[in-house]
Amino acid sequence: MTGKETQLPKGIVRHIYPYLLVILIIGLTTLACIPLSNPQSYHIVSFILLFVVAILAVFLGIGPVLLASTMSAVAWNYFFIPPFHTFHIANTEDRLMFISFFIIALLNGILTNRIRRQERLVRSREDETNALFQLTGELSKTRGIDGVIKVAGDDFRKRFGAETWFIIQDGNNILLPPAADEENSGADQPDPEISGWVFSNRKKAGRYTGTMNDSILTYYPLTGARISPGVVAFKIDEQRFKNKDIFWDTYCTHIANALEREFLGEMAIKARILDESDRFYGTLFNLISHEFRIPIAAIMGASDTLMLAETSERNREELYGEIFKASARLNHLTENLLNMSRIESGRISLRLDWHDVNDLFHRAARSLKQELEPFRLVIAVPDDMPLVRIDFALMEHVLINLLLNSTQHSLPGTTLNLEASYRRNNLIINISDNGPGFPPEALPRLFDKFYRVEGSPAGGLGLGLSIVKGLVDVHKGTVAAGNNESGGARFTITIPSRLPEMNQLNLTE
Amino acid sequence: MNETRTILIVDDEVQIRRLLEISLSTYGYNTVFATDGKEGLVAAATHSPALIILDLGLPDIDGMKLLQKLREWYTKPVIVLSVRSSEEDIINALDSGANDYLTKPFRSGELVARIRAAIRLSEEKKDTPLMEFGSLTIDMLNHVVRKNGEIIKLTSTEYSLLTLLARNCGRVLTHQFILKEIWGYGYLEQTQYLRVFVAQLRKKIEDDPASPVLLITESGIGYRFGN
Repeated sequence: MTGKETQLPKGIVRHIYPYLLVILIIGLTTLACIPLSNPQSYHIVSFILLFVVAILAVFLGIGPVLLASTMSAVAWNYFFIPPFHTFHIANTEDRLMFISFFIIALLNGILTNRIRRQERLVRSREDETNALFQLTGELSKTRGIDGVIKVAGDDFRKRFGAETWFIIQDGNNILLPPAADEENSGADQPDPEISGWVFSNRKKAGRYTGTMNDSILTYYPLTGARISPGVVAFKIDEQRFKNKDIFWDTYCTHIANALEREFLGEMAIKARILDESDRFYGTLFNLISHEFRIPIAAIMGASDTLMLAETSERNREELYGEIFKASARLNHLTENLLNMSRIESGRISLRLDWHDVNDLFHRAARSLKQELEPFRLVIAVPDDMPLVRIDFALMEHVLINLLLNSTQHSLPGTTLNLEASYRRNNLIINISDNGPGFPPEALPRLFDKFYRVEGSPAGGLGLGLSIVKGLVDVHKGTVAAGNNESGGARFTITIPSRLPEMNQLNLTE
Repeated sequence: MNETRTILIVDDEVQIRRLLEISLSTYGYNTVFATDGKEGLVAAATHSPALIILDLGLPDIDGMKLLQKLREWYTKPVIVLSVRSSEEDIINALDSGANDYLTKPFRSGELVARIRAAIRLSEEKKDTPLMEFGSLTIDMLNHVVRKNGEIIKLTSTEYSLLTLLARNCGRVLTHQFILKEIWGYGYLEQTQYLRVFVAQLRKKIEDDPASPVLLITESGIGYRFGN
């Protein structure tokens, strides 16, 4: 309330001020002309007064100009037309003179004022056009919905001193809570009801608009050619807003178009992702229905037979073994699926730490103890191998998948090699076997999801190698596949790893 | 050692409870059950079990919270058995007072081995200064470590590391815990020192340092000492 009380007299003063100025200037001019108050030179005074009225008309509005014309006519009559100091005009000639003076002063004032207004209008149009040009330029340079909102919000603040709130829809025509422009106070949050109305009716509302006039903010719909990205709400001074409907419509349409462009872009990306994941899940379900059912069938069948009394002790032993193998297979499938989905969704957080490669190799080999039993695994790590910065568990998983791959494609009794080296700030791991190697046409597709080399043994989702690639990728490393000179398969992993800081290490302590 | 020990199992999955009941009774343990956190607390107080097997995903309260509550008074071993397999969860559980952890699916043989180790560790008389691990003996009284009867030379850091691990034999010690105990709080991030000393220590105490059997790495979590 106190704010309003101090504001009101200020407004009145602003309005009264030109009139006071007119009274002062006409009064001073009249005073200055008093020496000319004689029957010979009072015509000259009329020219001086007309000149002053014309000058005032350049600077003041129509009201003060009317006052100036009237005052000067009255002053001329009272002080200068004989008989002096009366409103009476003695002869007809002077009476005519007075009337034409009044009319000329009036026309003079009104016409000058009109020219000035015209000129001001042209200038403000030019400003508006410039504003639109600059906004369009800035908007075309930004990318992303947030970028557009930032640019538009900055423009609102810079040009109109206005605080803005952008209320953007979620893609399903439901408005999200406003993305407040960072620097606004946050005191006058936009009213969700009004923004909802504006959004669904595609009409402006709020302050100065004639609809819901008593709200603090002005709301404009952001309507593009195809979709409505949302609503903009802003708090602005009346002078900067009033009587510029066309400008504001255009201004907001520019913002809406830029937002629409980004919106459609994002929707296209989303649609592509959806499409891809559709295909992904299609393949996945086909594989799952097959890959999961086999071990499940084994478990069900085996346990069913075990429940029969007449099953021999030897068969029982074998069936227990089958159940265990099938559940291990199910476990491996689940692990792989979970890892794949973690990689796909980017939910893998890398826990980098210093690790000993010997440790890594040993852990991986120990996890696959059973599977590696029929093979000869030769591990080679140079004595001067430095510590490397990796996520131990993820790299262990990489090695397990690669070693498992080798065991599945090699004959029992053959040698598998697992070697590490360090070159030019890179950890290099080589895994090779003496199996049949890869057919050349398989090499480019080896790391694709669900890809399985033709003729490879049954079982598996074809996810193992794509998981390897995904996990090496999060380490910012590379993995390459090829064939040995001897014909076996060979994988080479390269992972960037600088040397550890060992300044304070004292081995003899 | 022949008396039957009672093990409390806190798990809301009936299948897992059945399985544990059967496999643990095969190995001669008594089992009592709780299906949620509240029951778990009551059962721990009334049955005073020799060990608690705790699932982290309970219907009423978070297993980690239950673990912390239990640890306010329960001093015997707690083994966490959970489907949560991220290293953060495991480290959290260990730091909240779990003695060991296993992720589901697990092998009952493995679980029983862990249970035995944990119970033995908690009941062992700790006042003997002489510890034996296969061919390795640690004489804490005289600060002497012998391998196959021969004295091996250890630096003081290596000796502290070895005795810290040996005193907690069978238990997983997290990297952070070891770093804090041996080097102090300023070194919690300096895992590289720990790695170097572990590698050095292995060369001195293991028969084959490339495939250690005493000082075992727990992927991304820490180390376990055992034989």
